[in-house]
Amino acid sequence: MTEQGKSCNWALEINDLTVAYNSKPALWDVDLRVPEGVLLAIVGPNGAGKSTLIKATLDLIPRAAGSIRIYGKPYRQARNLVGYVPQRGSVDWDFPTSVLDVTMMGLYGKIGWFKRPGKKERELAMSALEQVGIAHLAHRQISQLSGGQQQRTFLARALVQDAQVYFMDEPFAAVDAVTERAIVNILKELRERGKTVIVVHHDLQTVRDYFDWVALLNVEMVAVGTVYEAFTNDNLRKTYGGRIAGIGAASGAIDVTSTRDSAEYAEVGDAV
Amino acid sequence: MLIIERMIIDILLNFTSIEQLNTFMAQPRNVAIIVGALVAIAAALPGVFLLLRKMALTSDAISHTVLLGIVVAFMIMVGLGANPDLNSPLLLIGAAAAGVVTVMLTEAIYRSGLVKADAALGLAFPFLFALAIILISHYVDNVHLDEDAVLVGEIGVAYANINVHCYEQCDSITITPDDARAEFGRRCTNCSAGGLSPRDPEAEFETYCINCGTHTAAEAWRERLIDSPPVQVRWPRAITTMGLIALVNIIFITLFYKELKLVSFDEALAGALGFRPTVLHYTLMILVSLTAVAAFDAVGSILVVAFFIIPVATAYLLTDRLSLIIILSPIFGIAGVYWGYDLARGYFWGLPLDGVLQWLDSIIELNGYTTWNTSISAAMVLMLAAIFVVVWMMSPRYGLIATIINRRLRRLQFEDQMLLVHLYNHLGGEREAEELALETLHQHLQWPRMKLERVLARVRLRQLAKIQHGQVYITQAGIEAVRNFAEQNLPVEHQEQIIRAVGD
Ligand SMILES: Nc1ncnc2c1ncn2[C@@H]1O[C@H](COP(=O)(O)OP(=O)(O)OP(=O)(O)O)[C@@H](O)[C@H]1O
Ligand SMILES: [Mg+2]
Repeated sequence: MTEQGKSCNWALEINDLTVAYNSKPALWDVDLRVPEGVLLAIVGPNGAGKSTLIKATLDLIPRAAGSIRIYGKPYRQARNLVGYVPQRGSVDWDFPTSVLDVTMMGLYGKIGWFKRPGKKERELAMSALEQVGIAHLAHRQISQLSGGQQQRTFLARALVQDAQVYFMDEPFAAVDAVTERAIVNILKELRERGKTVIVVHHDLQTVRDYFDWVALLNVEMVAVGTVYEAFTNDNLRKTYGGRIAGIGAASGAIDVTSTRDSAEYAEVGDAV
Repeated sequence: MLIIERMIIDILLNFTSIEQLNTFMAQPRNVAIIVGALVAIAAALPGVFLLLRKMALTSDAISHTVLLGIVVAFMIMVGLGANPDLNSPLLLIGAAAAGVVTVMLTEAIYRSGLVKADAALGLAFPFLFALAIILISHYVDNVHLDEDAVLVGEIGVAYANINVHCYEQCDSITITPDDARAEFGRRCTNCSAGGLSPRDPEAEFETYCINCGTHTAAEAWRERLIDSPPVQVRWPRAITTMGLIALVNIIFITLFYKELKLVSFDEALAGALGFRPTVLHYTLMILVSLTAVAAFDAVGSILVVAFFIIPVATAYLLTDRLSLIIILSPIFGIAGVYWGYDLARGYFWGLPLDGVLQWLDSIIELNGYTTWNTSISAAMVLMLAAIFVVVWMMSPRYGLIATIINRRLRRLQFEDQMLLVHLYNHLGGEREAEELALETLHQHLQWPRMKLERVLARVRLRQLAKIQHGQVYITQAGIEAVRNFAEQNLPVEHQEQIIRAVGD
């Protein structure tokens, strides 16, 4: 609080955040400072409050305590700096609309109330779809998409938002290796362009490859920092608690992943 | 309200005469169909988003609990000493409030974490409805709010519930004694007081004006004080009410199309982008309540649910485009209204049902039930459902018939492929002579002989196979067909493998 001027250096700054559902805390006294231009993974077990952290940041759920700043501003004033990819399962993919339409939704904030998207918006959306490699599906109904294509659609929708900070909730869930590669490349490209990308991630094996920062969360924030500093066996054990069966001395991360709930994580092959 | 009505009539009078308009509106059928069509439009539009948001049952709940709003509004009117009136705007406010309360109560129960969402609705709405029933029976016994009206409504009498708008000769007439039209009579001034008969010599008389005073235009015409009748338009009130609600809904859906779409598809993103999901949500609920309460008079509280849901579900069968669903839903609703009226009056696409019943009576005993007479709004809903069923069967994509045809086509295609793959795999193989012999081919495929002949006839017709010297051979076109099929239907890595594996 005293360093008001300095806080602007952080793309995201969360102080003492507590969020509760029905008086049961989902996040407890969480601090998180993310510098500009990093790829940060939020990892933690199911129910750790990862989605809750993102939703609280976007003012979608009330917080019991704490403050959140994006580039030094509260979310309401920083709205157009933020892009958002919700968890894929949070929407109904049978909704009667097309891929292009969903992509254009990312522009609704800029268009504002009442006005309809026009030719310019259509072109922006098309180029975002090209970027994620599904321009040929633009006019397809979203009910006919595979899981990986759905995820790419969501990514395109975030890209058209042209934000400074991106929040993505499990963009790698149930996508095949090809799609995962494509998404990672896009994330890295965003980072090159000075954007900050905050990703909820479940696959501990790939954290080192894909990300340069990591936040380990289990209701409380266990550790935050560069992957090198924070992604240690010790911190992983604290995060995943008793659920870890035998962390080996050599590579804890890989052992941890072997205990994941197989139903939740089953990676479904997905032809794109 | 009256001013708006007058404006509508003024516009209509550009196209028709007052006489024609009155004749038209005096027809119960015309009025019922217009009111029904307006209900259909007004309900289908919010209905689209109810269905998208998986809130179909919420419309059911709201259409019941608006009763509570109506009753409370009645009680307030009585409490204020006003004359309770089913057309008061207070009713609309009450209904909107009741709708919002229903949704808020449901969400509060759900958020308490004690029960699931559907159970929360099931708790909130009977509670509010029961409250309404108790209040009705205790406080508003004497007003016109009977169960019949609540359940099925009275669209058939909408034509009789009118406002009169006068166009010519409207002024009331005041006759004074010096008016030429004044008529005079004599009356006894002391007869009743003095107990005298008018014939009595003591009776005193005075001359007085019989028709002096102020007369409305209609009275004046009846008394022939004016030379021509007042020119009036007799306008059914329900048309104005429903029309306004329909208009409000059209405007709302048009203005907020983009926002409603976003909120319905992805509430989180809508919130993140600063569109107020809760505000839009409750506005939609208020519109549902207003529509329900306005339609209450016409089709009753239960049947209005059908107008919210069935036409939309029908449109959903035909298209995946939201804009098209919004256009098609009211059309299906109107169609149901139109045919439903005739059905209620005993005609099913021109077929007189009385005749059918009489004919049935002559075959089986119907105990004299030979006149077809039924609730109009119920018949309309029946028609909405019938249209749904017909569309469901005919729909090119999800339709019953299309599904059956597709499945059959696919089975035939698959049979062809099995045969072709067998021919392909054994072509040039060491056991070719044995495997491809016409006489024994069906045994290798483990098919009945008849089936083989059928399939063979089909593939030969398409020149995919040929018979030479009692052997069946695949043609070049047949090989192409096998490859195409494998490419389209099998994952790449399995294509070769599976082609080889099929057959024995
Ligand atoms: N709407 C809600 N009402 C009540 N409790 C909730 C709600 N949403 C989440 N929770 C609870 O809050 C906790 C954190 O949930 P959250 O969705 O943030 O977890 P997560 O880390 O994203 O898990 P996952 O890996 O499964 O996505 C969980 O215990 C969950 O049960
Ligand atoms: Mg989550």
